[in-house]
Amino acid sequence: MRITDLLKKQGISLGVAPKTKREAIDMLVALHEKCGNLSDTAAYKEGILAREDMGTTAIGMEVAIPHAKSEAVKAPALTAITVPGGVDYDSPDGAPCKLIFMIAATTDGDVHLEVLARLMQMLMHEDFTAKLKAAKTADEFLKVIDDQETAQFPEEAAAPAAEKKDGFRVLAVTACPTGIAHTYMAAEALAKAGDAMGITIKVETNGSGGAKNVLTAEEIANCDGIIIAADKNVETARFDGKPVLSTKVADGIHKPEELINKIINGEVGVFHSDKKADASASAGGDESFGRKLYKHLMNGVSHMLPFVVAGGIFIAIAFLIDTFAGNAGSSSFGSVNEVAAWFKTIGGLAFNLMVPILAGFIAMSIADRPGLLVGLVGGFMATSGSTFFNPGAIGFNDIISGMFGDILDGKVDFATAFAQATEKADQIAVVPSGFLGGLLAGFLGGFFMLLIEKMCANFPRALEGIKPVLIYPLLGLGGIAVIMNAINPIMGIINNGMNSALVAMSETEGLMIPLCALLAGMMAIDMGGPFNKAAYVFATGMLSFQTDAAYQIMAAVMIGGMVPPIAIALSTTIFRNRWTLEERRNAPVNYIMGLSFITEGAIPYAAGHPLQVIPSCIVGSAAAGALSALFGCKLMAPHGGVFVFATMQGTWMFYILALLVGSVLGMLMLALLKKPIKE
Amino acid sequence: MVSKKVTLVNAQGFHMRPANVFASAMGKYSSNITIKFNGNSYNAKSLLNIIAACIKCGSEIEIVCEGDDENEALADAVERIESGLGE
Repeated sequence: MRITDLLKKQGISLGVAPKTKREAIDMLVALHEKCGNLSDTAAYKEGILAREDMGTTAIGMEVAIPHAKSEAVKAPALTAITVPGGVDYDSPDGAPCKLIFMIAATTDGDVHLEVLARLMQMLMHEDFTAKLKAAKTADEFLKVIDDQETAQFPEEAAAPAAEKKDGFRVLAVTACPTGIAHTYMAAEALAKAGDAMGITIKVETNGSGGAKNVLTAEEIANCDGIIIAADKNVETARFDGKPVLSTKVADGIHKPEELINKIINGEVGVFHSDKKADASASAGGDESFGRKLYKHLMNGVSHMLPFVVAGGIFIAIAFLIDTFAGNAGSSSFGSVNEVAAWFKTIGGLAFNLMVPILAGFIAMSIADRPGLLVGLVGGFMATSGSTFFNPGAIGFNDIISGMFGDILDGKVDFATAFAQATEKADQIAVVPSGFLGGLLAGFLGGFFMLLIEKMCANFPRALEGIKPVLIYPLLGLGGIAVIMNAINPIMGIINNGMNSALVAMSETEGLMIPLCALLAGMMAIDMGGPFNKAAYVFATGMLSFQTDAAYQIMAAVMIGGMVPPIAIALSTTIFRNRWTLEERRNAPVNYIMGLSFITEGAIPYAAGHPLQVIPSCIVGSAAAGALSALFGCKLMAPHGGVFVFATMQGTWMFYILALLVGSVLGMLMLALLKKPIKE
Repeated sequence: MVSKKVTLVNAQGFHMRPANVFASAMGKYSSNITIKFNGNSYNAKSLLNIIAACIKCGSEIEIVCEGDDENEALADAVERIESGLGE
């Protein structure tokens, strides 16, 4: 407890001239009131006067220290006056008082006695009291006290500097590979040692429950140094330019005092990070909510990108092989040739993980490690289309094969099995909610986990270990399953509604061009969700009628799926300042994916900037679809992109024109909507 | 020289009023009277010294008296402290 912590500038009044002891007391009490130290001024003053009645608080040497311990005091504090002319304070030596401190003490604790003692120890130095009496300004008065205090109590000299900054002198991060026991033991040992040594310390725990008590950029900037007691990697870029002591987590448990002393005594070298970018990224303890959401989103998108790129190229290779094998135009184009089929299947596996990864890493960015499970599972449920009544998202084919299984086992006759299977098949409409559902899963799942972590925060310490291994996963899995099962049927309803609307439209004369524009635009909305699926299934379904209208619709749908990646790739090439380096580097692949009718290539960009990318893609795709229909382009193959152009019976030149116009339109609109970014 | 260890019973420690009472009582004796506390020695006749020692309730202190009236002084000091210095 330092005097300078208790005495504020406003609590000092120099060169005053009270006529009586009573007047001096009134002045000092008024100073306390002005500083906001009192909750009841009258009661406090009564305490002061009662104390004076028992005997004067003048201590000789022209000094008096009136004091009172009272309920009326909010927090321990001091006020002071100097009286150059002196005032009669019933001093034991009969001399008038020229320097008066008034102590306001709370009824609890020994602050009262400690402050008195310290004041006395300092006042014994006559040059000190002389300097105080001679001080002209409150600042000078405080400086005299501070200097004296620093000289007399050097061991704590550095402390007030840190305390004034409202920070911690020493920061620490503890972590161990499992993150259940040692992390917390080391944190407790360090905190206890800091307490015992009178050093302010804050410890961040990077346990399996995620980082807790996270150090803020401000605290890092203001501390003396950082102790990292960890047996696994800790995010260190944020400590750039500060003294950092890296050691085993065991040292944090067994010799915390030694570690703290090394920091305080300046025995630790300054740490330089080679990852400045990360340091600036973590600088924001005061980031806006929108900015945080964006960071979570981009964490998901950047982890998803490799899956999209590798999977997309594999599928494109499959189309290429099948083209050379002469299978262009086949209904199972891309997997007719066995080698092509291998590439298409493997690429498809990577694609299947795309949305779970997106959702998983969004949730992990929000809720740390516990978020990964909810995000991954939620994202997987979004791609599979899991619902309460069909949690495994069993499709039509599974039902049919199940039917034959039952018949072969002799359980039912064919007619019954067939009836059951058709009834079942009618009930289910497995519609994945696609990447939009995945985004929802990531964010809802992440915040849901945060909520659970908050609710479990007051659990007994003994349960700390099982929280991340049992409680979080259990509650998280149950929660995200309920959330996603509730969302997916809505997608099914949307899908069914669109199907009927599309069928109705196709049966109406003269609506071919609007229908094609609509279908192509739908391909760009969610790139694998209910809209995209409705359009694509409708088109492939129509193919079986083998009419010109059906072929035109198929052509429009495919072009609608080709435009988004190409429009985005064009944008990254021409409007470079709209995109980050990472986004630009990954974009060339989008030319290949767009030309191969792999719309998923656009997902990372659509997920990262949905409000700009999705509308632009819809407009571009719809325009391309309308042009394709206008030119009378016809397509018999359900897939294949540029590889099946050759099967388009001479309409392919117009088709390329439509594709170009749509892509350029999408790119231009994107340039309008998406503002240049600063790097 | 005589000395004795006593425990301070005042709830608020050796604060200004008891210190005042004690210092002025000790002032009547001609012996040198010191309070040993926490490894330091303090002049028991000085109010400032006593308060500066920051002796809290329950602390054990040693009174050391040396001089012509050292026995009387020690007896008086111990009695005053043990009785709570009038509090």
